[in-house]
Amino acid sequence: MEAVVEATDLERRYGDTVALAGASLTVGRGEVFGLIGPNGAGKTTLVRALTGTTEPDGGSARVLGEAPADVDRDRLGVLPQDFSPPDRLTARELISYYAGLYDDARDPETVLADVGLADADETWYENLSGGQQRRACVGSILVNDPDVLFLDEPTTGIDPAGRRTIWSLVEELAAGGTTVVLTTHDMAEAEHLADRVGLLADGRIVAQGSPDELVAVHGGASRLTIETTTDVDAFDDLEFPVERAESRRRSTNTDAVVIRDVTPAEIGPVVDYLEARDLEYTGLNWTEPDLEDVYLELADDAERERTARVTQRANAEAANAGETR
Amino acid sequence: MSRLGRIRAEADAGWRSFVRRRTAVFFTFFFPVILIVIFGALVRTDPAGDGLFAEPAGWYIPGYLAVVVLFTPLSRMGSEVARHREGNRFEKLATTPLSRFEWLLAQTVVNAVIIGLAGLLILGLVLALTGAEIAFSALLVPYVVVGVICFCGIGAMLGSYTDSRDGAVAASNTIALPLLFLSETFITLEQLPGWFEPLVNLSPLTYFARGVRAAAYPDATTPAVAGVDPALANLAILTALAVITFALGARSIPRTD
Repeated sequence: MEAVVEATDLERRYGDTVALAGASLTVGRGEVFGLIGPNGAGKTTLVRALTGTTEPDGGSARVLGEAPADVDRDRLGVLPQDFSPPDRLTARELISYYAGLYDDARDPETVLADVGLADADETWYENLSGGQQRRACVGSILVNDPDVLFLDEPTTGIDPAGRRTIWSLVEELAAGGTTVVLTTHDMAEAEHLADRVGLLADGRIVAQGSPDELVAVHGGASRLTIETTTDVDAFDDLEFPVERAESRRRSTNTDAVVIRDVTPAEIGPVVDYLEARDLEYTGLNWTEPDLEDVYLELADDAERERTARVTQRANAEAANAGETR
Repeated sequence: MSRLGRIRAEADAGWRSFVRRRTAVFFTFFFPVILIVIFGALVRTDPAGDGLFAEPAGWYIPGYLAVVVLFTPLSRMGSEVARHREGNRFEKLATTPLSRFEWLLAQTVVNAVIIGLAGLLILGLVLALTGAEIAFSALLVPYVVVGVICFCGIGAMLGSYTDSRDGAVAASNTIALPLLFLSETFITLEQLPGWFEPLVNLSPLTYFARGVRAAAYPDATTPAVAGVDPALANLAILTALAVITFALGARSIPRTD
């Protein structure tokens, strides 16, 4: 695999806050790499380190074979998080403005059509809907037909149709050989778009692989959710006819009982078992593990580790303070 | 795309953004008009008296021009830089071929056009309302342009080092107001304490005022600088200061953090 984006042990601190603590990744040509992780995990800092807009304190990064700050800007497309372009330009003027900054820009009309804004081309940016604004922002990074795209939460605030438009664009670009690094909180987006996903927690990539690989390794078991109007305590001592059931637990946000590791073939016997005991249920929902389960599992692990480290440090400091006294 | 093309694209966007903010356009031109009406028509200068405005009307031409040459770039650049920071626009621009130097140059061009138009309005009003006698020297053009460059650089620094748009505007007003009155614009050096003179010499606006006065109001006795014609010498000093402030201003513009 030809590495287009490479990060090795990147570190970045802001005062006492550690944003990156040895993040490493490699992204190949035409690959879509999704970065997921909790708020404050270091996703934006990692993107900035890779685009040359922040200087790492340690480690190294290469993009298109160059240090990020030295990469030919004509080959790069970056959509920063919370990006807000000049608001009193029309969508057409906005795209033309960014096109004017490049040597060999695409026709702005084509870009407008690509992002689905051909009908809103004479509307000021500030008067576009939230979704249209985000599409205009995405359009601004497509004007130079970049070889590498960095998208920091590209579909935040976009309606489902707009999101599909952006997804299609990213898929087309990747199919044409464009390398894409995107951060997102939308697991469906990561699962849909990314060839590989990296989960960033506490400034480190704690797991990476294809969505399927991550789900297989970290996703856990399938779940059968039984929605009921009956008191859920009535389900506590039941022995469901499920061969490998790991555990069952009550959902925290609905009146529901969740049984884990249920195969599709076992759903029928579970239904019979409930009906034989006159336990009423209003719905049954069987789901396989997905990327969200991976995220919750690994992010929880990282959070527990972080909390343990903080507690350990605090205890050590308290002990030192005691010895000093 | 050449550097010129990038600057043109940025300046075009900046100009459109400015003219579509009607209140900003209105007050950019209305502010100096108010000042001329107050000082030139209502208070009036009194060359025979010994009050604050005891010089002939023509002596105050640099002061009136300074209102826009100083205030507009400081407040506009300060708030523009802050606005760009708030919208992560610099982070985006840092990943395009446009350099910080080019960005500031484009914004300076926009300011120069705005201030050039406002300057013409000011000169017309001063002539109409105060009857001042002005020599229309071609040097007025480079003075206004170099003055705008100088204060755009300072405005960029204010926008970069303050933490919000409100902070940038407040800082620019705090700096601009004393400079406006203590740079030989409306108050003569003789009216200030002797110990204050070195401070007056630190203000870039002083060289703008002395030079414009020497060029546009020949009756004034502006002293030569090291034997060089004051209209040219002060322009040279102002240019040197403009190069420094512009370079520092461009360098101060943030990329991300």
